[in-house]
Order: sequence, then structure tokens, then C-alpha cells
Amino acid sequence: MFDSLFNALPVALQFGSLFSLFVGTLVGILIGALPGLNPVMAIALMLPLTYGFDPVIALGLVAGIYNGSMYGGAIPAILLKIPGTPAAIATTFDGYPMTRNGQGGLALKTACWSSAVGGIISAIALMTLAPLLAQVTLAFGPTEYFWVAIFGLVSIAVLVGSDISKGMLSALSGVIIGLVGVDTISGAERYTFDSLYLSGGFDLIIVLIGLYAIPPVLEMAEKRNATYYDAGSFKVDASGNALTLIRQHWRTWTRSSLIGVSVGILPGAGGNLAALLSYNEAKRKSTNPESFGTGNPVGVAAAESGNSADNASAMIPSLTLGIPGNLVAALVLGALMIHGLQPGPQLFTKSPDVVFGFMWQMLITAMLLLLLGGMVATRLFAQVLRMPTALLVPTTLVLMAVGVYTVKGNMMDLYVMLAFGVLGYLLHRLAFPLAPVVLGVLLGPMAEQNLRLAMLLSQDDWGALFTRPISQGIIALLLLVVFSQLWKMLRKGRQR
Amino acid sequence: MDGNLLMNFRDIISGIAFLILGCTVVWVGSGFDAGAAYVPMGVGILMCLFSLPLILKGAVQALAAGETGTVKSPLIDHTGRFMATVACCLIYYLAMPTVGFYSTSTLFIVLLALVLGERRPLVVLGITVGFIALLYGLFALVLKRPLPVEFFLVS
Repeated sequence: MFDSLFNALPVALQFGSLFSLFVGTLVGILIGALPGLNPVMAIALMLPLTYGFDPVIALGLVAGIYNGSMYGGAIPAILLKIPGTPAAIATTFDGYPMTRNGQGGLALKTACWSSAVGGIISAIALMTLAPLLAQVTLAFGPTEYFWVAIFGLVSIAVLVGSDISKGMLSALSGVIIGLVGVDTISGAERYTFDSLYLSGGFDLIIVLIGLYAIPPVLEMAEKRNATYYDAGSFKVDASGNALTLIRQHWRTWTRSSLIGVSVGILPGAGGNLAALLSYNEAKRKSTNPESFGTGNPVGVAAAESGNSADNASAMIPSLTLGIPGNLVAALVLGALMIHGLQPGPQLFTKSPDVVFGFMWQMLITAMLLLLLGGMVATRLFAQVLRMPTALLVPTTLVLMAVGVYTVKGNMMDLYVMLAFGVLGYLLHRLAFPLAPVVLGVLLGPMAEQNLRLAMLLSQDDWGALFTRPISQGIIALLLLVVFSQLWKMLRKGRQR
Repeated sequence: MDGNLLMNFRDIISGIAFLILGCTVVWVGSGFDAGAAYVPMGVGILMCLFSLPLILKGAVQALAAGETGTVKSPLIDHTGRFMATVACCLIYYLAMPTVGFYSTSTLFIVLLALVLGERRPLVVLGITVGFIALLYGLFALVLKRPLPVEFFLVS
């Protein structure tokens, strides 16, 4: 296997491949930075353009857009509290407070390095552990996926914010939003109230932009003359403090990257879950957890390395088994098939240059982030800060409108986005955390589908949920998180 | 004063709102087929259960603080600007299908900037034109995404 891996390196280093990586990474950063545009949409739009290209060049573009957009999503998350991609939600928690504290430049640089490190570790995992790790995923059934979803949901609800009941209510609200529409198993309509629009359910990106992007813009509008940004803090120094960053964050990067790689292998669990779990783990391990959410660079490092470490590892089940780990992985499979290549174990023997070349491309593009990320962030996005708040509000709202409209071309989506925006604003002002709402929308349906599948397979034996060893391991982890948080709260209560 | 104390009545009210929402979810969910009803009803019941400690905590803290009057910090900092922004958005969305994306967006940016207090015409026009040109380049020329057609181009 390693012979094939090293034989593919010159293929990945060809001029055409390097050029496509460069262009892809640059486009990816810009796409990721534009709220409403996401890597899935960008890759889907790019694929038809690559029909005539060599597969290595086509996959180079995909690799560049994928890794680039994961970092790009962090730019508006840090500067404007608008996650450019769903995976950048956790980056807003500390990235935006850092901007408000005049440390926007440091936050961007931390995000850039963290994304690069996460991407590099993930690519190495893809290259070396692919066949081995795919074996573990094979052992996962519906019960395991159900518990993974519950673990993600409950741990976020419990760990984000200071009030468990508010966190849980936020998460449950998200699950209810996710339930709206046609039930995929029975075909029954739920909470649609005979509305054709609601029967399709709410699109995650619309809910996400509404809940996450509109509230800060409304707050900006309220404080039109407030000095929101300190332009001086956005000078991203390309040289200098890299060693300090490595010294400060290597533990967080390692831990978060391992979480991201593990999450990436699980089909359906995307970069957003990887980032949120990494963030929570960094907060749990910290000696000063209260500083998280107020502008702690470790929070940015954890979230960004976590979500980028998900990228290449999500390709493991795709390339080895033909099972896409996420939408981007599904598009990569599509790209391979467009070029006459059949995904699956035989791909490694029939087209080793393409498959291993793609792995090298994922590694190279992660490294390119260090070069392009800082430069783009400095030259382009720092300009946003010089814009008066009274103009930043409408331009951001137009950007959101165009991003949401282009998802399905439906005007109703804009009203829904605004409604979720006002809801998000009110929830935020009432001290309800918003991250569990989004995770509820994402993981609620995943948990439900797998629960019902498990029930069908076990003929309604609820005990089946608790008997498999991997499920028991996840349940044990879940209980550990819940009880450790309860213990912390009790201890805090006693101290008062 | 502790910020949480100012939230007392809000906790009670939001707790009651979630309790009502939970009950509604259970009530509507009870009409679904058995398989499709498990999770909605379970989520509704959990929502009711988690709303109770919130109501209780809010009530206990309000009683302890001796606060029975109005909440001191406003829920919306500047109601006028908040409502104006939301209203401008609604007008923007209403006008977009008939007027066209680029024309409505131009008018929206200029109007909202004026409403929010920007009074430098050159800055407003410069940024608006530059921004719209950028959007046109990206969405019309590069990505070729269909957006609501301009009124003057409709034949």
C-alpha cells in the first residue's frame, strides 16, 4: 500500500495538480467566507466544469475547495459572528469575542494554523489508517448511530451555557424544527399544518443563517454608531508568532484533530459535530473553563482543528467502502464516477495514482492554507471592517438573502430565515444558547431514523439499545459528561 | 445587580412558553401514526419536563430577590431601529420578485443605510455600487445562479 502511496506523490506534484489545488483553495476560502454559500454547493457547481479535465486536476479542485472552505467559514465567524459554513458554529463562540476584544488578527491566525494542522493530521490519517478505521465503522449499526447522535446533542446542551434546562430546551426546540416535514420512514406529514412549504421541512442552512447570522446584524443595527471593530486588530502578521502558537496549542490541536478524525469516519456526522465536540473537550480539559465563550484562543484552536480534521477522514468510508461520510464525500464519489472510476476497495488497486494522489492533494491543500489563508484574510476581509456599521448591516443582509435564495430559489426561504433570525435574537437575549438548537435540527432526525431502524430490526425490543458493547461505551461517555457537569454545578452552588 | 436576577421574570415567561410548546407538540403528535409519533411525543414531554425547573428557578429567584415589578433591562435595546431593520427586510423580500434582485438590493442598501443614520452620499453610493457589482460578477457571471429578474429586463 505504501509503495502506491509514494508512487502517487509525483502525480500530486504535477503543475496541473498544484495549479488546481491553488485555485481550489482560494475559491474554497472565498466560498466558505460567504455566508449561505457552502462547499457542497461550490463543488456541485464546479463538477460539471471538470468533465474534460484529468481526474487528478478535478479532484485537486475538490480537495482545495473542501479544505479551503473549512477555514474560510471561520473568517466571518470570527469577524462578524456569522458562521460561513455550518462547521464554523463553534468558532463563533470565542472567535467573535476575540474580535470584540481587539484580538481579531490573532483569532484569524489561530484559526488558519488550526485548520492547517487539523487538515494535515486528517490527511495523514486518511493515508495510513483508512483500511483499519473503516473496519471499526463496519461494526456500527443503527443503535450506535442513535447513541452517537444523542451523545452529540446532550453533551452540547449540557456543556454550552450555564443552565442545563435552557440548554436542553434549546436542543429540544431544534429537534422539533427538524421534525417538521414528511416523515422519511412512514411518509406521514408532521407539524406541516397542510402547508406545502412545510412538508419539505426546514433547510439546515436557512435555519442556521437565520438563527446565527441575523441576531448579530440586528444588534449591529440597534447600535449603529458603536465601534464594533478595531481595524488595527486585523493585521494578520504572516511571520513571527508561529512558534508561540504551536507551543500554546499543540495539545489542543492533537486532541481536537483526533476527535475530528474519529467523527469524520462516522457517516452522517460532519465537521460541525467534530468542531462542537472538540470545543467542549477543550473546555472540559481547561483549568479556566469560564474563559471559554469570552474570547479564549484555545476555543478557536479546538473548533477549527476539529472541523478541519473531519475533512479527509470523512473520505475514508467513501474511498474504501463506497459509503460517503458526508455530502462532500458523496460529491467526491460523483467526481470519481464522472471520470469512469468505481469507488470501493478495487479503486486502490485499479487506480492507485488517482486515489492516493487525492490523499496527497488533501495534505498539500491543508498546507496551502497557511500561505493563502493569512493573505486572503488580511487583504480582503479586513476591508469589511472599514465599512461603516450603517452600511455593513444592509450589505450583510443582502449577502444572506442571496445566499439563502440560491439554495432553492424560493422567496419563502427569506421570510423563514428572517423569522428564525428574530427567534434567535429573542432566545439569545433570554440567555438560551443557540448552538444546541442547530445541533437539534441536525442530529434530531439522525437519532430518530436510527432509533426507528433499530426498533424495526429488534422487533420493538427497547433492550436492544443497551446490549451492544459499542453502544454501552457511548452511553458510558454520555453519562460521564452529564454527571461531571452536574457535579461541577453542585460544587459551584455549594461554594456560593 | 446580578444580570441573572433581571432575567427572573423572563425565565418564568419563557419557561411557560416552552411548557405550552411542549404540550402542543405532544397534543399534535398524538394524532400521528404510532411509529411517527414516538419521537415527537417524547420530545414534547421532555420539553415540558425541562421547562418546569426553569419556571421554578425563576420564581424562587424572583421571590428571593423580592422582585415583583417590571424587568429593568429591555429585551430589545433600541426598538425603533430594530423594527425599522425588520420592516426594511420585509419590504425588500416583498419587492424582490417584481423589481428584480439587483435593483431591490441597491435600493435596500441605500434605504437602510439612511434609516440607520449614514448621511455621506458618496460613501453610501460608492460602497453600494461596488458591492452590487461584486455580487453581479460572482452570481451572474461566475456562478451563473438564477436570481429574480430585473423589472426593466422583463419582456
